Amino acid sequence: MKLRRVVQVGFLAFFVILFLIARYPYSGKLEADLFLRFSPLIPLFHFIQDLSLSWVLWPALAILVLTPFLGRFFCGWVCPLGTTIDAASKIVTSPSNRVSGKWEKLRFFKFALLFACILLAIFSVHVWGYLDPLSIFNRALTVVFYPLGSFFVSQTLLATTKVPFLETPAFYVYDLFKGFVMPEMQAHPQQFFWIALFIGAILGAEKLSRRFWCRNICPAGAWLGVLAQFRMFERIVGEACPVCNKCQTECKMNAIPAGDVKHTSKVECIDCFSCGAVCPPKIDAITYRWRWKPYHTPIDFTRRQFVRTTAGGAVALGMLSVGLKNRDEKNRQVRPPGALPEDQFADKCIRCQECVRICASNGGCLQPDGIRTTVLDLWLPVALMREGYCEYNCNLCGQICPTDAILPLTLEEKQHTAMGLAHFDKNLCIPYAQNSDCIVCEEHCPTPDKAIKFDLKEVRLRDGNAKMVKYPYVLRELCIGCGICETKCPLPGQAGIVVTTENQHRAGAPAPPQQEQPTSPYG
Amino acid sequence: MNRRDFLLGTGAGLVGGALFARGVDPLFAAPPPPQAVWVENGEPAQLLAAALKEMGGISRFISRGDVVVVKPNMGWDRAPQFAANTNPDLVAAVIQECLNAGAKTVKVFDRTCNNPLRCYANSQIEEKARAAGAEVTQIRENRFVDKAINGEVVKEWSVYKDYLEADKVINVPIAKHHSLSRVTLGMKNLMGVLGGNRGDIHNEFNRKIVDIDRTILPSLTIIDAYRILTANGPVGGNLAHVKQLRTLIMSPCIVSADYLALELFGLKVEEVGVVNEALKRGLNKFDVKALNVKRVRLS
Repeated sequence: MKLRRVVQVGFLAFFVILFLIARYPYSGKLEADLFLRFSPLIPLFHFIQDLSLSWVLWPALAILVLTPFLGRFFCGWVCPLGTTIDAASKIVTSPSNRVSGKWEKLRFFKFALLFACILLAIFSVHVWGYLDPLSIFNRALTVVFYPLGSFFVSQTLLATTKVPFLETPAFYVYDLFKGFVMPEMQAHPQQFFWIALFIGAILGAEKLSRRFWCRNICPAGAWLGVLAQFRMFERIVGEACPVCNKCQTECKMNAIPAGDVKHTSKVECIDCFSCGAVCPPKIDAITYRWRWKPYHTPIDFTRRQFVRTTAGGAVALGMLSVGLKNRDEKNRQVRPPGALPEDQFADKCIRCQECVRICASNGGCLQPDGIRTTVLDLWLPVALMREGYCEYNCNLCGQICPTDAILPLTLEEKQHTAMGLAHFDKNLCIPYAQNSDCIVCEEHCPTPDKAIKFDLKEVRLRDGNAKMVKYPYVLRELCIGCGICETKCPLPGQAGIVVTTENQHRAGAPAPPQQEQPTSPYG
Repeated sequence: MNRRDFLLGTGAGLVGGALFARGVDPLFAAPPPPQAVWVENGEPAQLLAAALKEMGGISRFISRGDVVVVKPNMGWDRAPQFAANTNPDLVAAVIQECLNAGAKTVKVFDRTCNNPLRCYANSQIEEKARAAGAEVTQIRENRFVDKAINGEVVKEWSVYKDYLEADKVINVPIAKHHSLSRVTLGMKNLMGVLGGNRGDIHNEFNRKIVDIDRTILPSLTIIDAYRILTANGPVGGNLAHVKQLRTLIMSPCIVSADYLALELFGLKVEEVGVVNEALKRGLNKFDVKALNVKRVRLS
């Protein structure tokens, strides 16, 4: 089983490398979102959505074509979440199937989830992205593992530089680290706690059984299981088998029925070949081979469960449709440039946080959103301009979106696509509130003709003296909502200028009409 | 020996001795170097060479074994032709001169306004300065130290440690339009080594920048006016606002250099608050009204 482990670690390393190259400078020669497009769920749900399939999903399509023959090899050999789960099970020491066999009754749940996701998708509500294993893993890397790891390494090295005789070597290592592993600034993602809890629960569940997530919850595993019912690559148990049950108790997926070691549930088996490895060497009863007339194993999903899931899906659909959408927050949902119109965007986005990742090495405005207007806003990328801004010369988020929820724009197009519009809050803005010069916003405004201009006006102070102050204002037709004004506003908390979704131009939608505005509010 | 010979000999000896003691300099010496140099009509490296020749060579400012900081403006994610950052060829030439004069190391850094990686790369300064032999490093967040300023408004501000520890500093700003300070030149360029919330400097800007600059003056200021940005500064982005002047201004006095550079924009000193404030507070080394400027036009 050495080979399998090498392949697993290889795919995991490949995933991490793709994750690491998703940053500025990005050549695109090796597409950073390639591995995310391995997800077998994306073609299924995109087909439900558009009744068509895109060739960019070729890695996933290849897996779907191979699965009826080979079974769930993706889960056992390829999936980086599965590999991480295997590593976690070593750490928390999962029990054998003698103990964890009792969870077998939960197996149906993954089919129920998959079926509920399909049901909701037919009614154009897409929740499956939250549960997509590759999306989960990339989300955990972006929000939890990478920021945490890079924080510990860089802070440790920086602390070491304070030791006099270690200063030079520590800075040498620090520079190497900053040069190759973490050239960008430390990321500070929001939703850290919840996403850490999510991945923590998946990995922690290894305490209950091996591959708890894969056995019971993963909808991608369920989907591949459905395709693998008749798989042709079979485990054959020879006559020499003394029924020692070792393969049964050691099976990662509990795919070998307790009373029937000669069979395998093709729906559950992930091709890890541990059964062959644990079979006592002198007996060696287990072989694997192709059979042109394969036996069929049924899916653990009864008619009663099917009916209940349908009912549950309908209830969920109703709850998601009827619940009040908080309108107050609507204009703070600033999306990346090139994002599809909001409804389509929320449907296509799988919340993988790849755009958040690549943005963190640029302007750093994109963050996984919280529940803002409705539950489904959760973890959609939102531009929080107080934390970062959209870098004028950057269009990378559209280039690395695996599902084209953000369409790739040329730099030229992106520089003319308004994400929103900046508004002054005159109760806070320093010139208006304090009659004092500032215009840091105007200084940073990147458009070739500045969207923020100012009037030099005399103001009479309370002590009777007059003073000349520069009062800034925004030109709607020039502002692209990049938000650098909001980021750089020197006020300590809330900024004196705020970007809202007004005037935003979503990809595929007609450009908003330009309103005629006076050149200055002071005429 | 008779008395006449004795007297002649003694006299000659005394004169000779006096001359020997004082050296022959006073008789053949060049006039003192100018207080500022204005060179125009050349490529960046030529401009620099000509200016340094007039100034009496880089060795006047850089000694063997010095750790030198060359501080360009590379604060913006813009290519050189947009005149938002210092000309990379000029920066490389300055580094070369320092190393030729025996500088131990030359460091280049700037606390940028846009993403630092993008600014370092797209200004082309990182690449060319490194090729010229400088240490180009990103700002390390833990290398700012609080420095006592004790000025009129600013009492303390954080300044980059490498800047404070350098033996010599060469300030290489680009001449640009700026809406708050009207133009940004040598004095404002030093903001690139400051930590903290720099936006806070923007109200009472003139007084604050003079307060801070007084404590961190460079050894030499070289204003890059190969291209200048005349509007929409300090970011620019429109080539129509870029004027190619192929000019360089150099002075050991930062205020004198800035004062001279106002000519590039056709501005009077009264129009530029920060230079005015610096003169009022006596930050200038030389009397700018009677500045000894050497003007050279290359052919």
